[in-house]
Amino acid sequence: MTRGSSSRGNGLRRREALALAGAAAGVAALPANADTKLTIWTGYPEIQPLYQAVAADYAKSHPGVTFDFFSTSLREAEQKLTAAVPTGTGPDIFDIGTNISVNFIDNGLIEPNPPDIDAHLKSGPYGKFTVDFFTLDGKTFGLPFLEGSRACMFWNKTYFQQAGIAAPPTTFPELIDDAKKLVQIDAQGRMTRSGISLRLSGQGSGIGEKFRYVLEAAGGSMIVRTPSGKWHNGFDNQAGRDALTFYVDAVQTWHIDDPKVPHDADAFASGATAILWRESWVIGEIQSKNPKLDYGVVPIPAWRAGMPRMMLLQPEGVYVNGQSSNKAAAWDFVKYLTNAPNGLRLTEMTGWLAPRQDIDWKPLLAKTPQFEAFVAPPADIKYYVEPVLTAFDEVESKMADRLTSAYVDPTLKGNPQNVAAKIHEMAEQTDQILKDAKLYGTG
Amino acid sequence: MHYRRRAGLWAWCYLMLLPVLAIYAYVRIVPIARSFELSFYDWRLIARVRPFVGLANYVRMAGDENFRIALWNTTVYSLATVLISTAIALPLAVALARRGKTSAVYQTIYFLPVITPMVPMAIAWKWIYDYNYGLLNYVLSLIGLPPVAWLTDVHIALWALIIMGVWKGLGYSLVIFLVGIRNIPATYLEAASLDGASELQKFWRVTLPLLRPILLYVLVTSTINAYNVFTQVYVMTLGSQAAPGQAVRVLVYDIYQNAFQYFRMGYASAEAITLTFIVLGFTLIQFRALRSQEAA
Repeated sequence: MTRGSSSRGNGLRRREALALAGAAAGVAALPANADTKLTIWTGYPEIQPLYQAVAADYAKSHPGVTFDFFSTSLREAEQKLTAAVPTGTGPDIFDIGTNISVNFIDNGLIEPNPPDIDAHLKSGPYGKFTVDFFTLDGKTFGLPFLEGSRACMFWNKTYFQQAGIAAPPTTFPELIDDAKKLVQIDAQGRMTRSGISLRLSGQGSGIGEKFRYVLEAAGGSMIVRTPSGKWHNGFDNQAGRDALTFYVDAVQTWHIDDPKVPHDADAFASGATAILWRESWVIGEIQSKNPKLDYGVVPIPAWRAGMPRMMLLQPEGVYVNGQSSNKAAAWDFVKYLTNAPNGLRLTEMTGWLAPRQDIDWKPLLAKTPQFEAFVAPPADIKYYVEPVLTAFDEVESKMADRLTSAYVDPTLKGNPQNVAAKIHEMAEQTDQILKDAKLYGTG
Repeated sequence: MHYRRRAGLWAWCYLMLLPVLAIYAYVRIVPIARSFELSFYDWRLIARVRPFVGLANYVRMAGDENFRIALWNTTVYSLATVLISTAIALPLAVALARRGKTSAVYQTIYFLPVITPMVPMAIAWKWIYDYNYGLLNYVLSLIGLPPVAWLTDVHIALWALIIMGVWKGLGYSLVIFLVGIRNIPATYLEAASLDGASELQKFWRVTLPLLRPILLYVLVTSTINAYNVFTQVYVMTLGSQAAPGQAVRVLVYDIYQNAFQYFRMGYASAEAITLTFIVLGFTLIQFRALRSQEAA
C-alpha cells in the first residue's frame, strides 16, 4: 500500500467552516445511543488527563456516553494494540503512529474514514502534508492528533551569556564552537556539564531518530523512496559519513558530550547540559521541574551556511477501531477531541503539538514564547517526513544498536575509512530489512 | 479381583490428575508445540498471509548478527553468573551449615534478593551503577579508585548485569546447598575427623562428593534461569542514561524484540525453540558430566 495524494487543498469551504465553528463552540448533534461506553487507549500517559478533561466536557452534552481510559508507554501500547485489535478485543478509539496504523489499514482493521470525517479532514484545518500523511491509496484513515517528532534546539540562555555567546548557533560549525565553549570539565578531568546532550546510549529507535537530525541536516536520509515506490538506504554516502563523524568527534575529539554524564530533558531542565535537541513536550517538563530556567528554542542548525535548516514531521493519528460497535459515537468524539480549542488545550496541558493549522497560538505564545519555533517555524525551514512503513522502526532500532557502539569506538576517531566501513555495514543492514519486508528497490 | 481393584485405583488417580495435566498441557505444552509450528512460518502478528517457509527462519538466524551477539552475551552471562554464584554459595553454605541464630540471620539476608521482584531491583541497581550519583562509584571513591561507567561503557555493561545476576541468584544456591549439607550424615564427617582429615579434605573428600546430586540440581536450574535473563536487561537499557542495547543484548531480549517490536512471531519462535534446545543441551551435558563422575 502506498501513500496517495488526494488532498483537496487548504481552503476552508463555507459549510465546513461552519461545521468547524460549531465543533469548536460545542458539540454537534448526538449520534450516540444512550449508555454508550467508549474505550480509549493511548501510548502517551501524559495525555490521559487531556482525554479525561475533553471526555468530561463531551459528556456534558452527551450524558449517555461514558468513557474508559487506558494508558501505557508508547511501545507497550503498540504491542497491546497489535495483539488486541486483530483479535477483536481492542478499544473503540486509540492513538498510534503510522508505523502501526499502516498495518491495521492494510489488513482492514482500520476502515476508511466515513464521508463526513473524510470531508472534515480535507476541509482546511490541516495542511496538505498532514492530509497526505493520513491518505492511503486515495482514502483517508484517522484524524491527526499530535506532532510526534518535530524537534528543535533548546539552548540555555544563562550558559550562553556566561560563555560570551550572543546568539544560538545557526550552523553546525557554529554549534560545535559554541558547545566547546559551553562544556565544563572539573579538575579531575570529569565532564560536569555537556556542551550538547546527544543521544549516545540505551536502545531503541529514538537513537536512530536523533542520528537522523544530523543526517538529514548533512543532506542524507535514513531511507529513500524510489519512483517505483520501493525503498533503499539513503545514508551510504558523504552525508552518512559526515553525520557519524560528527557524533564520534563530539564524544571522542571535541569532548562536548560523554555517555557518562546525565542526558536528555532531565539534564537540560537541571542545567546539566547547555543544548538539547528535542520535541515540544520538553517545555512542559521544564515548566514542571525547573520553571525558572532561562532558555530559548530555535530550529536545529543548518549543516553549513547556505544549506537549509531541517525539521522532522511525524503526525500521530487517532483512529476508530474497525471492529468497534460504537463507530458513530467514537467518530463524533474523535472529531470533538481534535477540534481547534482542544488542540490548543493539548499543547497547553502536555506540551505536545496539535497538528492543526487553524489554531490561534497567541494565548499560548503569550505565556510560553518558547513554543514559537515549534508552532510558527521560520519560513526557510525544510521539512522531512517519517516514512510510513512498519519496517522503519526496525531500521532505526537496529541501526541504533550499532550507533551506540560506533560513537565510542576508538577505531573510528580520525579514521574516515573505518567510518565509511561502519556506515556501509549499517546501510547493508538497512537494505536487508527492506528486502525482508519486500520493500527494497533502487529503480 | 485384586488386579481389578488396582486398575481401578490407577484409573482414579489419573482421573484426579487429569484437570491438572490438562491445564499444564494447555499453558505449557500447547504453546511450546505452537511455537515449534510457528517457527516454520513467516508468521507476522498483523498480516493476512502467513506462508510456510520451512527452515528459512533457522537459516536466517544463522546469519543474523543480533542473534549471534545475543547468544554470545547470554552464554557469557550464564556461565559467569552460574559459576561465580556457585563458587561463592558452596563455601558460604559450608560455613553457615552450623545451626545457630547467626546462621539463620545470614540465610535470610542472602535469600532476600531471591524473593525481591526483579523490576524494582533492576531500577535500584540502575541507580547503584549510576556514574555520577551511584553508590558503587561512591564506595570506589572512598578507597581512592576512579569512577567506573558501569552501564554506559560497552565493555563493562554486561559485567554489571553479571554482578547483579550473582547477587540475585546467590541466595537460591546457598539455601539449596545448605539443605544438602545438613542432610549429609554426621557420621561420615566424624569418621573423616577420626582419620585425621583436615576441614579442606573433609570438604573435598566427603561433603562435595555427597553433594553431587544437589550440585547438579543447582547448576541445571541456575543455568536455565540464567539463559532466560530478560527483565534486568530491559530495565537497564531503557532511557538515555542506560546500557547500550547491543552490549547487553541477550537471547530473550532478542526474541522479545522480534516478536513484540517487529511482530515477527515466526522468527521469534525459531529463536525460542533454538534457546530451548541450547538450554536442554547444557542440561544434558551437566547431567552427563556429573553422573559420569558419580559412576567413576
